[in-house]
Formats: sequence, structure tokens, C-alpha cells
Amino acid sequence: MKFAIAVFSPGHAPSSRRALLFAQAALAGGHEIVRLFFYQDGVHSASGNIVTPQDEFDVPAHWRAFVTEHALDAVVCIAAALRRGVLNEEEAARYQRNAVNLPAPWDLSGLGQLHEAAQTADRLVCFGGD
Amino acid sequence: MSTLHVISHSPFGDNRLSSCLCLLGPNDGLLLCGDAVYALQPGSEPLKTLQAHNLEQRLFALAEDLQARAINSDAVNAVDYPAFVALSLHYDKVNSWL
Amino acid sequence: MAKSLLIISRQAPWAGPSAREALDIALAGGAFDLPLGMLFLDDGVFQLAPGQQPGQVQQKNLAANLQALPMFGVEELFAAGSSLQERGLPADSLSLPVKVLDDAALAALIERFDQVVTL
Repeated sequence: MKFAIAVFSPGHAPSSRRALLFAQAALAGGHEIVRLFFYQDGVHSASGNIVTPQDEFDVPAHWRAFVTEHALDAVVCIAAALRRGVLNEEEAARYQRNAVNLPAPWDLSGLGQLHEAAQTADRLVCFGGD
Repeated sequence: MSTLHVISHSPFGDNRLSSCLCLLGPNDGLLLCGDAVYALQPGSEPLKTLQAHNLEQRLFALAEDLQARAINSDAVNAVDYPAFVALSLHYDKVNSWL
Repeated sequence: MAKSLLIISRQAPWAGPSAREALDIALAGGAFDLPLGMLFLDDGVFQLAPGQQPGQVQQKNLAANLQALPMFGVEELFAAGSSLQERGLPADSLSLPVKVLDDAALAALIERFDQVVTL
């Protein structure tokens, strides 16, 4: 079956980790993830500037490794990301900001990508809050 | 079409669980995860409310969250992540209360 | 056939970008001509209160975007009667033409849609 998974919480929220473990279990179960979409505070889950203490589970790093390993389509909502200071190189240059914190493997794009994924998938599963 | 409702907020000081119970359909399931598993705390008001709804086989909780919080409840079906994935497919859609 | 999506908005309007971002999901989907519905539930019904002046807290008015919903093809608009009643908002005073539903009708509404997002 095909899943679209949307993440609405930052990496330090338990629900971001829960989304990651759900996504891993879905792939392990032989299912497909058509797209990961990061919206609202979920854009922070994709930030490359998170420094997690060494003895703690680094959720954003695990997201990055997971997306890279499985070559997943992972989209960060551009409007939500700009508002929260999550920028790739192109946007940082456009708005003349110093910090780039959204390196590959993420794509910045619009909410249409969430709808497209929901249309393609058998299930849309969202994670957010606590 | 049946819905799996997913709640992750503590029922104390938050109305997601009570709102969800108001509009839960007869074929819908409820999965508690994160702090929402505090609703299963023995002797608590939310547990009484849940029990009054007779969800029985339609009430689930993420096992890791029960264990992390030392909540022992026989009122709920504890599930791991593979079972969470299976539940999301068993029901026609998933409604997470973000 | 395109899958229908019900967006349940539970957030009060001026507590941060959440209510606007829920609305943006609806507007984006409407632009793609998708079958969408929007339900205002819990504190989300405060988005429909008349006479609000968000400029006083330097926020953009959500009402203009809400009123754009039908123009974007989002014509199925609902509010939870119990949420309105609990908050003392008369159903006939709302700033948007919504269908007010009781709890049983809410369950039927959710059942009818292919997908649901609550935020």
C-alpha cells in the first residue's frame, strides 16, 4: 500500500520521532511512501542546524539518514519554512539571510505537494502535537 | 467509511479526547499515543469516560508509551509500530488530532 | 476520481499561524479543484466570530481568506453546534455561511470524506 506521511512537529517533539518510526515500519512491512511532507512546526524536523546532545536520540539526523537511504521524496513547505527560518541556499540568497539550514535531501515546495501526495496514496497519515 | 482517530495529547487540560469521543462513529477506532495514554491511568476520570464508551476492541495504545509512563491497563490493546501501520490500513482513513 | 478531504480546524484565530495554515491547506486544495470540506470545531469556531479587529494585535484579517473559500471551490463549510453553544456564539451571527451540525451529524460528516486532517 502507498502512504503519504505529513509531519507537523519539530524534531524535539515526540510525535516527530513517532512519525519516523511509523515510516520505518511502513517500509519494513513492504509498503511504499509516496512522499513525506513537513508542514507548520514540522519544518524544524528537517533543519540541519539542530544540535542534539550526544547521549540523546537525534531525530532530525535520523530523518535525514532515512530520507537519504531510501531516496524518499521529502518536501518541506516553503511558506511554513520561510516563516520559521528554515532556508535552503537559494532562499537564503533570495532573502539575504546568513544561515542555510536545509541542505539536501529536502525539497522546498508548496502545499500542492501535500494534496498531490494525498491523492496518490492509499492513506494520508499525519503526525503532530505532543 | 471507518476512521482511526489518533490522539497524542494528555486528556488533562486538553479537550481533544472529549471532542473525539463526541464524534466517534460506531465503526471507528481510537489509538492513544504519547501523553494521551495518561487517559488509561487506573482510577482516573478519563479512564472512566473511556470505559463508559465501551470501545473495547476498538481502543488501542502505543505499547512504548504505556511502558515509558508505567501505565498498566488491561482496558486497551497495546500495539507496536508494525501494528500501528496495520491499523492505519485496517481503517479506511486516519484522523490524527494534531 | 479525486479523493475528498475534510479539514478540521480547531485553533483560535490569533494564537499563532496555525489557523491560517489550516486555511491555506484548504485554499491550496481548492486551487487544484479537489473536493474539499472544512469543519470548524472547538476553538476553531472563534474564527467565525463577527466584528473581530485583528489589526489591534497586528495580525492580518483571516476573514478575507475565509470568505475566499467558496471562490476557491471550497463550498462545504461546517461548524460544530456544540462548540458554538459552549462558547456562546449564536449560529446566526457567524461571519461565514456555514452549516451547523450536531454531534451525530459530525460523525456522519467525517465518515463521508475519504481523508481527514485535524489541526
